[in-house]
Amino acid sequence: MKDAMEKASRMCLRMMVPLALLGAILLFTPILSSQTGKQPEAPKPGDTSAPLSHDLSGVWMQYPDGPAPGVPGMNAIDERFRPPFTPWGQARFDAARPMQGPTAVAGRENAPTLHCDPDGPPRVLNLPNPFEIIQIPGRVLMFFELGHVWRTIWTDGRALPKDPDPTWLGYSVGKWEGDTFVVDTIGFNDKLWVDVYGSPRSDQMHLTERYRRLNHDTLEMQITMDDPKAYRGIWVNPPKLHKLEPTWEIAEWFCVIEEENAYSDSIRKPAGGISTAPK
Amino acid sequence: MNFRPAFLPKQFLNCRFDESCALRWKGRGARLGRSLAFLALVLAFTSTLFAQANNEPAATQVPAATPALAPVLSHDLSGVWMPYSVHMDGIDEKLRPPLTPWGQARFDAAVPLVGPRAIAGKENNPALQCEPEAVPKSLVLPNPFEIVQIPGRMFMFFEQYHLWRTIWADGRALPKDPDPTFLGYSVGKWEGDTFVVETTGMNDKPWVDSYGNPRSEQMRLTERYRRLDRDTLEMQIIMDDPKAYTKPWVNPPQRFKLEPGWEIAEFFCVVDEENSYGDAVRKPAGVAPAPK
Repeated sequence: MKDAMEKASRMCLRMMVPLALLGAILLFTPILSSQTGKQPEAPKPGDTSAPLSHDLSGVWMQYPDGPAPGVPGMNAIDERFRPPFTPWGQARFDAARPMQGPTAVAGRENAPTLHCDPDGPPRVLNLPNPFEIIQIPGRVLMFFELGHVWRTIWTDGRALPKDPDPTWLGYSVGKWEGDTFVVDTIGFNDKLWVDVYGSPRSDQMHLTERYRRLNHDTLEMQITMDDPKAYRGIWVNPPKLHKLEPTWEIAEWFCVIEEENAYSDSIRKPAGGISTAPK
Repeated sequence: MNFRPAFLPKQFLNCRFDESCALRWKGRGARLGRSLAFLALVLAFTSTLFAQANNEPAATQVPAATPALAPVLSHDLSGVWMPYSVHMDGIDEKLRPPLTPWGQARFDAAVPLVGPRAIAGKENNPALQCEPEAVPKSLVLPNPFEIVQIPGRMFMFFEQYHLWRTIWADGRALPKDPDPTFLGYSVGKWEGDTFVVETTGMNDKPWVDSYGNPRSEQMRLTERYRRLDRDTLEMQIIMDDPKAYTKPWVNPPQRFKLEPGWEIAEFFCVVDEENSYGDAVRKPAGVAPAPK
């Protein structure tokens, strides 16, 4: 959009004075719409840094700064900061049989993704694959490579719905608070885990994502989960950095059950010591 | 769009990002006069730049095959569109060319949920396993889709199964030897008032319709879109798949209605839900009748 706007502006300059004036109005219009009617807040006292970009668009890949060196960390959601479970949350967690971590039991995994259930926030934000952000007036769109999932974040100033039907992605609205793009989501179903270890999500979860574009190449994402049905406390995760990948395009990666099963039989189960030989 | 300064051709009131802007102009423009008419001119000119994705001829250029006095249609396809007909006739089996031997074998192996070849309990439509349906079938499903245009790209968001696709409109060519995918690789460009989308690189897994007609990795899909008026989008689907069909399959144009108040809802395919629906509703009901 930027290139086209610049081209449009250059065109205007070549034309006569009234058109140049109108070009200025044109440039002002996208700023208005991207603010969703709000002026940015003044920087906090002591914050001497230059204002950050409000353009989050691009393909972003998480930093390989997880527990294992050099691989995507999936640590935007960090177990170490998980609050204690409620009884409901504990029962859900005990019933979950993940594919990795200390509670994994080879051959008995029941991760919803093994059935190609749709992925949604916050888990999809943490998967070790790129996502793309597109901003259009009134909306921010996120495209996740893994599972070919897209979501809409409404930025037209609307409020969250009062009593939404639970869905996989929930209902998201976003707004700028200073240089931070704050996304609030409610209306989740309770079918997905929030991580790969079986930590649950209930229909009472209020998810908050805070994004800041620290510089041209770096996006910071911070995830906060307030889910009183599952956790006795708010799960506040440390910020996670993402790197801009200007030449990447989001590839097609659907979850297909047959492929998932074939992968399990040929790679995952043998690696876990489970025989897949025909009986 | 009743308000229009006499010196402004109709197409200059096209709106790029906002369906309702033409209506807003109707109210405000009448009050504000000549200077705002200039603004409309510039806005329209900028929109034209965007819509052309940098490489296209000017919007006012009349396509050669069209009479010179034909009205110029909008190049803004954005909005939520719902098919006029829910009979999925954007792909019409009556116009299907003869199958090749490969195509016939695929067709014979398919057991659909509907139509004369359906066998209750033996259906093997890949969609029952929640495999992506992709194009061209998603284009004719009886549910809405939304089009979003940004410079260099067009997005389509299909409500059924929450599918999205990218159509590159930045002038790039189709890839020479793409890996086969469900959605394939799509590029689009304006030919006069028609947005022409070409797609190759599809895998041979989904059917093209509900009746089990196949698609091979040699399919070249062409979609032709025209916004006939503010509320009406026309789509025509042409499938050239020499591995499956002996000739191109040319379908009649299908129309879609703009639904300005709608938002695409979340409708994922979930295998558990698909199975419960099959057990509770579909199987007891037996074979669904053909829709026509």
